[in-house]
Amino acid sequence: MKKLITRRMAVKRLFQISSAMAFSALTDWPLRGTKKLWAQKQGTGFIVEGFGQTEGYSIKELTKKIFDAAGGIARFISRGDVVVIKPNVSWARRPELAATTNPEVLEAVIELCYDCGAKKVRIADHTIHDARRCFAITGVGSVAKKTDADLVMPRSSLMKKMKIHGHRLDIWPVFIPLVEADKVINLPIAKDHGLSTLTLGIKNWIGGVGGRRYALHQDIHQTIVDLAQFFKPTVTLIDATRIMVTNGPSGGNLSDVAEKNTLILSDDQVAADAAAAKLFGVNPANLGFIELGEKWGIGTSDLLKLNRKKVVI
Amino acid sequence: MTARHLIWIRRASQAFFLLFFLFLLIESRLPQDVFVEYSPALSSAQELSIERPVRFFFQLDPLVLFSSLLSGHHLIKGFWWAIVLLVVTLFLGRFFCGFICPLGTIHHVVSWFKPTLKGERMVRANQKSPGQRVKYFLLITVLIGALIGVNFTGLMDPISILFRSIALAIIPGLGTGAKEVFELMAGSDVKILNLIGYGEVLLSPVFGYTYEVFKTAWFIGLLFLAILFLNRIRPRFWCRFLCPLGALLGIFSRFTILTLVKDEEKCTGCNTCTKSCQGAAEPEPGKEWESAECLMCFNCFDSCPEDALSFRFRWSSSLSNKQPDMGRRAVLAGILAGVSLPLLGRLDGQAHNVSNPRLIRPPGSLAEKDFLTLCQRCGLCMKVCPTNVINPTLTEAGMAGLWTPHLIMTQGYCEYTCTLCGDVCPTGAIAEFSAKEKIERPIKIGSAYIERGRCLPWSGNGPCIVCEEHCPTSPKAIYFRKGIVAGPDGKESPVQLPYVDLTTCVGCGICEYKCPVKGLPAIRVISAGESRSMENQILL
Repeated sequence: MKKLITRRMAVKRLFQISSAMAFSALTDWPLRGTKKLWAQKQGTGFIVEGFGQTEGYSIKELTKKIFDAAGGIARFISRGDVVVIKPNVSWARRPELAATTNPEVLEAVIELCYDCGAKKVRIADHTIHDARRCFAITGVGSVAKKTDADLVMPRSSLMKKMKIHGHRLDIWPVFIPLVEADKVINLPIAKDHGLSTLTLGIKNWIGGVGGRRYALHQDIHQTIVDLAQFFKPTVTLIDATRIMVTNGPSGGNLSDVAEKNTLILSDDQVAADAAAAKLFGVNPANLGFIELGEKWGIGTSDLLKLNRKKVVI
Repeated sequence: MTARHLIWIRRASQAFFLLFFLFLLIESRLPQDVFVEYSPALSSAQELSIERPVRFFFQLDPLVLFSSLLSGHHLIKGFWWAIVLLVVTLFLGRFFCGFICPLGTIHHVVSWFKPTLKGERMVRANQKSPGQRVKYFLLITVLIGALIGVNFTGLMDPISILFRSIALAIIPGLGTGAKEVFELMAGSDVKILNLIGYGEVLLSPVFGYTYEVFKTAWFIGLLFLAILFLNRIRPRFWCRFLCPLGALLGIFSRFTILTLVKDEEKCTGCNTCTKSCQGAAEPEPGKEWESAECLMCFNCFDSCPEDALSFRFRWSSSLSNKQPDMGRRAVLAGILAGVSLPLLGRLDGQAHNVSNPRLIRPPGSLAEKDFLTLCQRCGLCMKVCPTNVINPTLTEAGMAGLWTPHLIMTQGYCEYTCTLCGDVCPTGAIAEFSAKEKIERPIKIGSAYIERGRCLPWSGNGPCIVCEEHCPTSPKAIYFRKGIVAGPDGKESPVQLPYVDLTTCVGCGICEYKCPVKGLPAIRVISAGESRSMENQILL
């Protein structure tokens, strides 16, 4: 015979289940309330500037050295992490035109990530030109193939509206792979730009969103600072091996390019940009996004406040 | 070889060529795994190209060969495929229609599947009729028209029709539909649906990754459905009554040595052969077989219960095949129509003058008059374009330019170093060009101009540099001057005001495409200044 459940038992069971659910919802209580969206950065940041002085220096070696100077890449990447690298591959231009991140730097970073046990490295950028052409021509595609990194093609199904919690941006479509990652490395190239004067690390986040992103230019400094705050990369590595000094951000001529053989690594987005601005002879204080980044507490442009190191090979 | 074997060989061949056609069509796009090997020494402009022989079916098509030879005096690349086809047709008749033609295969299947006409009605439907002369009329019309200077072949050529219809209407229709469903699922909170939503990645290679859509392609799709529907009236209606390529091959099949041999002794007059004859080629013993109408499908051979019919090679020096039944009227009318159509096409003045400022042709296009002599309106350039900027015209290029390619800059833009449309054009209406040529000559397709009333900085509505930022030339064709503009509150502030330098602007349209002023952008491209025209210029 089937065992029947009495009304009393049913009520009891229901009460047990609902109280268990209510209790389980409370378990993260100690973790709550401490998270502040615009938390002030603690003064423990670092910045490492690497220069390749010798003729024919190895970019790979320089990349490794600056990560070592920052305490080794294992400080940032743990075993089993899914790492997403956000290079700047906006344009379908040859790498030596300095419109896009140097593929050698990219390759070096991917190898470092895999060496310290990353589960998967993904390369994600919402490009301006057709993504297939961008990845193919900039050399990023061949690096991905060589290093077994995933190339994430931007597609509209990967743009999802998210709450940015910015001062100017509220809800905006975000390129999801940049959010669905354990660690994010921002790997921009340092370039000239018509509106924001320079495009460095913070400006690189324009490539992390979708939607009507060209309307962001109407308040460029605040919107990119909002995005930088939203994306919060683990580290920023600015590629200044070749920089585009004029005709930016797309360039197209070798005469627009200057060799600087520099890499700047920092966990402070503002500091990295401030250091890179100096390569162009631009005073960081004159850059709107650096000023706003400091104001809203994303970082500091005062490099002396940070643990500052230099690497020369 | 028994008839059964022949039928299966035919089916296998039809399936193979239809699938091959669809494969090449789907592959007519930039793949995601193309790489230019990076090396620090890389110094020349690298070009990406389509690896597959996507022009194959157009090269196989003798109608494309003849029409471009007659009108553009241009021998297309790979034309010898068409020559091979013609030579084989001389011996084997219209085997192309029965064994190869992908549109014919589709018609074959549609006609065969649950036909509306049954029994005696089908026998009557498959009697030869004077309407079958229409295809000769159309053939003569397009060839004479081509000779006089406007190539309408592409409107009627089966390969062009099929490519255009599938690439511009069917695939985008299915693709956008599938994408909607997947995006709906990807946005779902149900885990399993959400995961299925990622299945879009598997489908997207078929739809070209970017899910192109084409303006007014619904019209092309509708016509395609109408052509398919005609099979309900008569089996293979298109092939039997309309196809100019079929007519051309019919003329060449006059001398075929593979012939239908009829044994009148064995025939019981059951009409099964006529019932199965999709070409209405009089297979019945007692009538004279029409080699020009026969689609070489071997249905009659297979269906005859008395073995009264067989296909045999007949080696004889004398011509014993019936000559194609064109009819004098069809020939005369064809010549008349062929002469008048190009003239009518010029009535709207578009072949010689520039009348639509937004008729922007792909880079590498020949001058308008020459362009219209070669363009097959096949849609290959539109399918291959990575930004979806190339669309078919409806009225923009006038009557003579129906369904020719033009660029709609609000839908895409011409990538500065991309050369794909010139790579794939089967007839050379878009000449092949290299990225180096495109940049250094430069190949201009138009010029940009700014509408200050809508432009954000010019109208005092705030800073914006998007057009300048995207301008691909070096030095940039869009440059700034500092200016003081009063905002809506009357307060004057310094802004950067964009200007266009007409000497460096190539008309690529990325400024128009990316302009934040949606709908009617504040910077637009017109065809004036295009390299291909001597007249349509602005500067001295």
